Amino acid sequence: MIELKGVTRRFGDAVAVDNIDLTIETGEVCVLVGSSGCGKSTTLRMINRLLPRTSGEILVDGEDINKADPEALRLNMGYAIQSTGLFPHWTVARNIGVVPDLLKWPTHKRDERVSELLTLLGLDPATDAIKYPHQLSGGQAQRVGVARALAGDPNILLMDEPFGALDAITRENLQQEMLRIQRQLSKTTVFVTHDIDEALKLATRIAVMDQGRIIQHDTPEAILRRPASAFVENLIGKGDRGLKLLALRTVGDVMERYPRPRQSDPLTEGLKETDSLRAALSVMVWQNSDQLPVLSEAGDAVGTVKREQLLQGGV
Amino acid sequence: MPVSTQPPNRVIPALALSALACVWLLDFGLVQPNRIVSGTGYGLYAATGWLGAVVVSSLLAVAVGLALRPTHKRFWVLALLLITALMALPLLLEMLAQRKLPEDSAYARIGIGAGFWCLAFFLALMLLETLGQLKASRRLQLSTVLLIVAGWWFCATREGLSSLSLIREYANRADQFTQALTTHLSLSLGAVAISAVLAFGLALAMVRRERLRRPLLGLVSFMQTIPSLALFGLLIAPLGALSAAYPFLQTLGIRGIGWAPAMLALIAYSLLPMVRNTYVALMEVPEPVVDAGRGMGMNERQIFFKLKLPLALPVIIEGVRITTIQAIGLTAVAALIGAGGFGTFIFQGLGQAAMDLVLLGALPTVFLALAADAILSALKFQGASR
Amino acid sequence: MRPWLAPVALIAVLCALAALLPAMAPLFSWVEPNTDSLIYTRDSFWFLLQSHIWLVLVSATIGTLVAVSAGIFVTRPAGRDFLPLVSQVASIGQTVPPVAVLALAVPAMGFGEKPTLLALVLYGLLPILRNTLAGLGGINPAVLESAKGMGMSSAQVLFKVELPLAGRVILAGIRTSVTINIATAAIGSTIGARTLGDPVIAGLVNGNTAYVVQGAILIGLLALATDSLFEAIERAWGRTFSI
Repeated sequence: MIELKGVTRRFGDAVAVDNIDLTIETGEVCVLVGSSGCGKSTTLRMINRLLPRTSGEILVDGEDINKADPEALRLNMGYAIQSTGLFPHWTVARNIGVVPDLLKWPTHKRDERVSELLTLLGLDPATDAIKYPHQLSGGQAQRVGVARALAGDPNILLMDEPFGALDAITRENLQQEMLRIQRQLSKTTVFVTHDIDEALKLATRIAVMDQGRIIQHDTPEAILRRPASAFVENLIGKGDRGLKLLALRTVGDVMERYPRPRQSDPLTEGLKETDSLRAALSVMVWQNSDQLPVLSEAGDAVGTVKREQLLQGGV
Repeated sequence: MPVSTQPPNRVIPALALSALACVWLLDFGLVQPNRIVSGTGYGLYAATGWLGAVVVSSLLAVAVGLALRPTHKRFWVLALLLITALMALPLLLEMLAQRKLPEDSAYARIGIGAGFWCLAFFLALMLLETLGQLKASRRLQLSTVLLIVAGWWFCATREGLSSLSLIREYANRADQFTQALTTHLSLSLGAVAISAVLAFGLALAMVRRERLRRPLLGLVSFMQTIPSLALFGLLIAPLGALSAAYPFLQTLGIRGIGWAPAMLALIAYSLLPMVRNTYVALMEVPEPVVDAGRGMGMNERQIFFKLKLPLALPVIIEGVRITTIQAIGLTAVAALIGAGGFGTFIFQGLGQAAMDLVLLGALPTVFLALAADAILSALKFQGASR
Repeated sequence: MRPWLAPVALIAVLCALAALLPAMAPLFSWVEPNTDSLIYTRDSFWFLLQSHIWLVLVSATIGTLVAVSAGIFVTRPAGRDFLPLVSQVASIGQTVPPVAVLALAVPAMGFGEKPTLLALVLYGLLPILRNTLAGLGGINPAVLESAKGMGMSSAQVLFKVELPLAGRVILAGIRTSVTINIATAAIGSTIGARTLGDPVIAGLVNGNTAYVVQGAILIGLLALATDSLFEAIERAWGRTFSI
């Protein structure tokens, strides 16, 4: 658990972070979202003491972080940033192994960890491990950056717009990976982004920041349904917030489940339980149908979903 | 509005304290019975009496105090203080002359001690730091330097400093000094001018023909690697043989030693920085700019003269700057093969163990190099801002 | 192994010439037909070569140590105040001609090896200092940020990240410094250092071109051999870190 109590940060006369209170529960993903210069990165960088705070308290599991040695503190917090910051003179494997090395893990344990992480992030331990950062694509480099952040098996993960510089498709992919990894590992994560869609997608709870203050701190659904101010309303976009709400829930939440899986007609297109309601609605509109079967991985129909059910799910 | 507090400056106190230590620990000046004997050294107090000692020490103390004060105006005050101090610095030597120079000896002279040099050096560093803190414009920097030079010039022409050994050496050979200056400048600037023309041609050839790039750059950087003394030496034999074989060359002054090998070597050295910078400058004109020019209907000639050349100019001038500084230094070495210039004084002085003669050659060489640097840097920035 | 071929060959030629020049007297009678003293004999070439290399080596070692530590100091939080001044001094200092530094060392320290060494150290550390600053300053800030964020201590950031990344630029500075110092050490003969400049100076003073040529050839070869050695080291460095 990370607790920020009355934390303020000034740069000269300017106030970057203004007396914020924020609690991040163990295992949740807290996304700090806001426009550039709102203090979200500053907040993140105060948690691992890359920046000292001007006043207030930051506690990790009840301990004031200023009591710990800063290096020891950071070794237990994975850190990934937008420009990756991969060490250009080291191979991918050595980059990922840097924190295990700093923690003085035995070599074989480190090597196992490195290849485990490469696999987890969808990289090839045989070929990609020996590459140098300049030989990687942007998406690959970012995967390595995330793997490096996870390498020391930290309790806390800090991510500063890690996918900000990637193209839309790669970003989408990495967000999916991120969700999958988070389901497996359940790290307490603080994630900074300026992209509200990314925030809605990844967050357990979102903290909307503006001018150094937290405007609203709540679940994605609550933020969409009850924006605290005009600023938040603007940020989430009035035009398609209904669709965004649909995107938060999956077909599995609203479908009618059959008692037993049935053989499905191979010609009709089906939905998956993990599809978002928004995607399901899109398929229905495209096929001009009122009802679609929900298919399991094996291709059997496990249930069905109607258009009205979808639409009610969003309300 | 809150008063913005400035952190105390740590650089100026460090420099001022070093200066204070040097001034009190080292000989400030010397009195020599004649030009060869090294003479007796005097510390700050002995040389300038309590007046000089108090003025110098309190100046440095005030600088420390000012640097630690948390206001912005302090740097303007410091700058004024330091400029005045540097301008008036030679007066301290005049005090030494008044106090310690024997009246009856026509050959006696005063020399500059390590303490004085250190004081001048640290004051200059403090001024540099102050101007940096003030973010002084180039014009302000240049006028500061001119002001200090003018102050020294004024001091040097005063009767009180006529016994300064450096000025004695100069007075003894004022004509030779002028001649050395002419030779030094014409050799180095001549070499720079010739190599500029050559280099421009070579760079253009390299731009046109990519194949030529590696061999040409290889050749010019090979020549740059050969130490000056070796290159001067290696040119003696072939040029000597040439002029022996064709006597008319001798009437032109082309011999194994003298200006001819010096000029050749200087040109050879000047080619690398000049060719490299010109080539890089011409190659690095952004492609979109050239495309835009072409798109607007410029022909290749117009593109070259209206776009490429003006954009490349600052980098080309940087090449000229490096080359000129280097040529001024190498011309001093060329005195060893009889080319003349300030190097003559240096090596004569070393031969006679007359340190003031060495200074008379070395200081103007340094001064020329610094002046060339200042002028060409100013030109470069003007070229870049246009 | 191919990059090491050129330096090894040049060093071999240099050593061979230093040892065998005295046996080549007939060759030099062609250059200087009117005298019997065709070979410089006051010191052996071998001795002069060693002494020349020794001067350059010592000055390069001291210069590197001083310049790199100074460069590191002014880029740490404790010394950052000094950075603007130090980098300005490093670039202004390089406009002073090396021969002037050499000449000015004599009034300060007298004649001999010591003033030469002082001048070589002082002048030689400037390019190294400048390149150290450029190398350390040229590192992508994101790399340093993430190194710190990973939990490296300042010393680990310096030795594992900053110095390896700046190493190539620093090495180039050392190369420049050594190239200049080989040339300056040769001129050091005029202030009493024993270097390969001795035969050249003696030849110029006595009008004996044979001496001049002997000294000049050895100095030139020494410079070329050193330069190609650095070339090879730089390549090896580049391969090790693949940058």
